[in-house]
Amino acid sequence: MSAQAHPESINVKLHLWRQAGPEDPGSFEKVELKDISTHMSFLEMIDVANEQILEGGGVAVCFDHDCREGICGMCSMVINGQVHGPEPGVTTCQLHMRSFADGDEIYVEPFRASGFPIVRDLVVDRSALDKIVMAGGYISVNTGSPQDANSMLVPKDKADLAMDAAACIGCGACVAACPNAAAMLFTGAKVSQLALLPQGQPERASRVLGMVDTMDSLGFGNCTNEYECMAACPKEIDVSNIARMNREYLRSSIGSAEGV
Amino acid sequence: MLSWLTRTARSSIGRKAVVALTGLALIGFLVVHLAGNMTFFADSDGATFDAYADTIGNNPLLPLAEIGLVVLFLVHMGLAVRLTLENKKARSKGYMVSKAHGGRTPGSRTMIFTGVIVLLFVILHLAHFRLQKGDDVSMASLVRFELSRPLGAGAYVVGLLALGLHLSHGFQSSLQTLGLNHPKYTPLVKVLGYGLAGLLTVGFLLFPLTIFFGGNS
Repeated sequence: MSAQAHPESINVKLHLWRQAGPEDPGSFEKVELKDISTHMSFLEMIDVANEQILEGGGVAVCFDHDCREGICGMCSMVINGQVHGPEPGVTTCQLHMRSFADGDEIYVEPFRASGFPIVRDLVVDRSALDKIVMAGGYISVNTGSPQDANSMLVPKDKADLAMDAAACIGCGACVAACPNAAAMLFTGAKVSQLALLPQGQPERASRVLGMVDTMDSLGFGNCTNEYECMAACPKEIDVSNIARMNREYLRSSIGSAEGV
Repeated sequence: MLSWLTRTARSSIGRKAVVALTGLALIGFLVVHLAGNMTFFADSDGATFDAYADTIGNNPLLPLAEIGLVVLFLVHMGLAVRLTLENKKARSKGYMVSKAHGGRTPGSRTMIFTGVIVLLFVILHLAHFRLQKGDDVSMASLVRFELSRPLGAGAYVVGLLALGLHLSHGFQSSLQTLGLNHPKYTPLVKVLGYGLAGLLTVGFLLFPLTIFFGGNS
């Protein structure tokens, strides 16, 4: 934030998505909040809203959250049509109320994708992403004593790219922001972080084939290269990871003996 | 024996790659098509253009090339429609409030719509210049006749603008789908994609515009 002056507190009109269960049609519940500190995070503001709902005899809105410091990837809200809200490169927990103005109407919805069924209110089931990782997003290393660190050389540029891909916290913002609800930025990052490193080479072909086939089976859409995912990603994962996944998939399926 | 091939051909990335490859091939056709059409402006009576049209029309391999083009077109369209339907299903319930993060472009948003307009345009185009042309009619005079009518010229302008919008996303998108992303070349590909879309659109637009407004009579 710049030195631009913000009011210490604001009033907002919150519209929270309420949905009793996966099959419930759901609707918005309006909550008017007074004197919300602009230093609050968005989740703290939801906490205040929940207290107000409870005091009024209502049922608190369910939402996912955990670390509240931008590293766990649990918070999952679409705020005024934008995943993780209007600020680039942050999760909802790192979004502050100073990003909003006095009197703002704020619509809060869950991530919407057939691959992420709604559990209740703002909580969605993102275990599909775990299934993609379980299909090969790891290296099989038997335990033993660590080898000398210098015995396996990693070029600096490759290490940097792998580290950038590994910054993915698996929050699913890419899926939620994608016009097609595709999971290709997530899968691309998980394929890339290992494909770039020497440790990832032994299972390089089987990994990408397994992960992409699993991704395809879970009801996600197909990437149309609109790059909304990259713009919404709190870790700003680059779409070159999707291109790398495409490359890896084609070289593994057509250019290798894997899956013959 | 070929289970690996069917697996690839059925996968998201495999099908996207086929859409990309057929799209690039069709762009290649457009470049040659425009280059050939430019003979129209070589002389005022259209003799060069007619000679060019006759050369193509008399080539015994023409039906083979035409079948190839139709196959490219059908595969490109069929897969794109299938993928689009899957994409709609992947978000069966949309957002109540929706705001782009800044990745989408007018071209990327409208691919399926501009694609349908281009399909209708191609059907009209074939009806004009492939199906109705008799042996005794000069191609240049037929072009002048069809494009001097307001409805004809208007349809071509709309069809070509849709094509330009389609290509503004299509070219760069196809390279990304094929995995061709590079820190040095991708920014150039983006510029090249817009340039190519603009050049092809303006090039083909010369025909309805100059003929309708009488610049080439």
